[in-house]
Amino acid sequence: MKLYLELIILLPLLGAVVNALCGKMLPRRLSQALACAVIWGSFAAALAVFAAYRNPVTVEIATWLADFDFKAPLTLYLDPLSLSLTLMITFVCGLIHIYSVAYMAEDPGYVRYFALLNLFVAAMLLLVLAENLPLLYMGWEGVGFCSYALIGFWYKEEKNADAGRKAFIVTRIGDVAFGIAIVWLFKLCNSESIVALNSAAPSLLPWQITVIGLLLLFGAAGKSAQAPLMVWLPDAMAGPTPVSAQIHAATMVTAGVYLLMRLFPLISLSPTVLAAVAVTGAFTAFYGASCALVQRDLKRVLAYSTISQIGFMFLGVGAGEITAATFHLLVHAFFKALLFLAAGCVITAMHHEQDIYKMGGLQKSLPRTFYAFLVGALCLAGFPLTGGFFSKDSILAAVWEQGGLLYGSLYAVGLLTAGLTAFYTFRAVWLVFGGEAAPAAKSVRVPVLMEYILGPLALLGLFGGLLNLPPLFAEGLLADFLEPLIVSQQSELSHTTELFLLLTATGVALVGIAAAWYRYGGDNRQLRLQESGVPVRGIKAFLLHGWYLDNLYWLLFVRPYGWLSRVLWTHVDARAIDGSLDRFAALLGRMGGYLGSWTCGRVSLYLLSFAAGAALLVGWMAWLVFAP
Amino acid sequence: MNLYQILFYLLAFVMVAATIFAITEKHPVHAIVYLVTSFFALAAIFYLLAAPLVAMFEVIIYAGAIMVLFMFVIMMLHPGSGKEALRPGLRHWLPAILFAAVILVSLTVTTKLHLAAASAAVTGLGVKELSIMLFTRYGTAVEIISMQLLFAVVGALYLGKRRKP
Amino acid sequence: MISLSHILILAGIIFSLGLVCLLVWRSNVIMLLVGIEIMLNAAMLVFVGGSYRWGAADGQIFALTIIAMTSAEVSLALAMVVYLHRRQQTVDVDDFHELSDQ
Repeated sequence: MKLYLELIILLPLLGAVVNALCGKMLPRRLSQALACAVIWGSFAAALAVFAAYRNPVTVEIATWLADFDFKAPLTLYLDPLSLSLTLMITFVCGLIHIYSVAYMAEDPGYVRYFALLNLFVAAMLLLVLAENLPLLYMGWEGVGFCSYALIGFWYKEEKNADAGRKAFIVTRIGDVAFGIAIVWLFKLCNSESIVALNSAAPSLLPWQITVIGLLLLFGAAGKSAQAPLMVWLPDAMAGPTPVSAQIHAATMVTAGVYLLMRLFPLISLSPTVLAAVAVTGAFTAFYGASCALVQRDLKRVLAYSTISQIGFMFLGVGAGEITAATFHLLVHAFFKALLFLAAGCVITAMHHEQDIYKMGGLQKSLPRTFYAFLVGALCLAGFPLTGGFFSKDSILAAVWEQGGLLYGSLYAVGLLTAGLTAFYTFRAVWLVFGGEAAPAAKSVRVPVLMEYILGPLALLGLFGGLLNLPPLFAEGLLADFLEPLIVSQQSELSHTTELFLLLTATGVALVGIAAAWYRYGGDNRQLRLQESGVPVRGIKAFLLHGWYLDNLYWLLFVRPYGWLSRVLWTHVDARAIDGSLDRFAALLGRMGGYLGSWTCGRVSLYLLSFAAGAALLVGWMAWLVFAP
Repeated sequence: MNLYQILFYLLAFVMVAATIFAITEKHPVHAIVYLVTSFFALAAIFYLLAAPLVAMFEVIIYAGAIMVLFMFVIMMLHPGSGKEALRPGLRHWLPAILFAAVILVSLTVTTKLHLAAASAAVTGLGVKELSIMLFTRYGTAVEIISMQLLFAVVGALYLGKRRKP
Repeated sequence: MISLSHILILAGIIFSLGLVCLLVWRSNVIMLLVGIEIMLNAAMLVFVGGSYRWGAADGQIFALTIIAMTSAEVSLALAMVVYLHRRQQTVDVDDFHELSDQ
């Protein structure tokens, strides 16, 4: 067990180190094969762990930070939550690695790419398996770094490097809050172990739990692109598409959700924090869905949908239903990776054209990609009986169950968002695949490998619902598996209510799809294409630019900061500090010149006077001895 | 007068004479050769004074390394030609000799009057004892000296480097 | 038995000769350094004489220290001489007077 657990993390790390150190010397095929093999090896180890799993285990690998009371050893913690995420991460990342081999076939920087991709997986697994907060933080920062380096992978274009920096800085703002929470928790509980913290939490004062919970929420919001720190994710699409699939859809961005679930026993003690999580999630879900309605860039549509779907997960956590949140997290990872990879196929086929208005008719030229994308879109839209349908429904049901005015209105927002999601998803489907073939899309080809990878993901997305069917139909497998994590037993919904909720969600999804068909399907598609030439105005421009949040932050934070820096530079640094030092130095120089004017500058004269002085002194001493 | 004393006065004479030649010699290379002679005599005196280790180092480092260094620099710069070959005139000698004589006489008087002629406590100090003392009690001094040597190496390298004009 | 006072007088003579050398050879900075060496040797002689008289090792250690220090000092000083000579083509000490801004 211990060996397998170690292997899960060490194999990707080994791949990263080998590729980084001597990847250039290896043949291209070997380097790529190594990168893929370590991830699949890690998956195999995860499967072995899964087979041997009985109870939550804590494995101490080595000591790390240890100073008086402070201890943060390299300890891994395996429980159903981390195990299910580990399986998902290794599997999805493994597929994406293979996909990357085909996607990056032309790129000369493949060694750097695969080294970073492997390092990312290692850091992500460390984050998931860590038993204490400092170790989790190390993985947290590790994935942040890899994300930064991979967003700016094609760094020679200023735009891409800027996007990387933006992602790095914005998530860092959240990380500061998380860091404060870590230190504070140690101060309060005298421990960093997650298990110990969760069990020690009831002894804390309510206001402390509230503030720590809000700090954790802010940190999670930075990593998971939630309000108010969601601005980096749309720009993060500057990286290669497999990176977007792996890091900015399936795994890293869900780290915030994972953090909140991991510390759920702690944050659930404060209703305020739970409500804040739920409100953040619902708001962000709505924000992302509304922005996705008008985006023209295929990857940006998916990016906003990711923001929106993670908002749903936050909503699930806020409703106190971590099973539902985990369920959605897993299923979302499958279908969102599927959508991104399919989008990668489309973009490759279109020779890196990402504007959905310039695509069209790909249904005929890329049938395999079309069906895969369609499955992903159905999941995302919440079409009945797909994985996405069940997972989203379980979250909405959990929110409904909470009742009250707040959660009631959050349910309404969630439902509205679900409708919007169905609409924008099928808007993209019809614009990209429907209608007549655009001139650029006549003869398109995609490496077969890339399309085959979509298969397993499509199956998982489609049948992911089986993981956790609603109690109406059967006992949920995942709910069973995650049983030990449930803090308080929730009251069961009656089956009629549940059926009612399911039917409502079905209705909303179908209405959304129908609306999309009405507006973008069939003959109306041509109409929209003609409109697309006109510059957007009003509400559409507002949504296209992500509610102008970038401009708002620019105005609120960046501009004042730049102004302050300039003032500090020109006035404080250049004038006050440098100026005073310069004046002081000039004063010393003048004083030195003044003293120097006393001297004649002849060394021999100095020596002579020195000898004369010595003679005088020694002579006087001799006189003292001799005279009395 | 035993043999030690005879040897001492002999060596003292050699040393003083060699030093006088060294400082009056016009040519720097000759001066250095006289100086080496003087230092050899000093090393022998050290040996007489039961300090064999210091005597060895005097020969190896002083008469060997340092004087050779002087020799190299003199050969490099050729100061023996032109204006630099000027011998100091009488007006340079007079004040120097005056001050030196005052100091010497005063020192001699002080020594003679202050120190009662006392016999020395002859205890041979072996190299081993000396070394133990050097590296235990005076360990700090060794450290400081080694630092200083390092600085000297860096400084000499820096000064000796030819800069591009 | 060599009496300490004779050793000290010898050291005094050597020291005075070094001083004379230092004062006289103002036209040659190398000879000036030679004068310093002579004076340092006189100092060493005093230390070793003291060590001989009282049978203590400290004087000898001091002498060793002086040797080590001198080697550092000489290497640096000679490097400076070479540097100055390269700049001004002279070894006359009185030619170096940049510090007293004339």
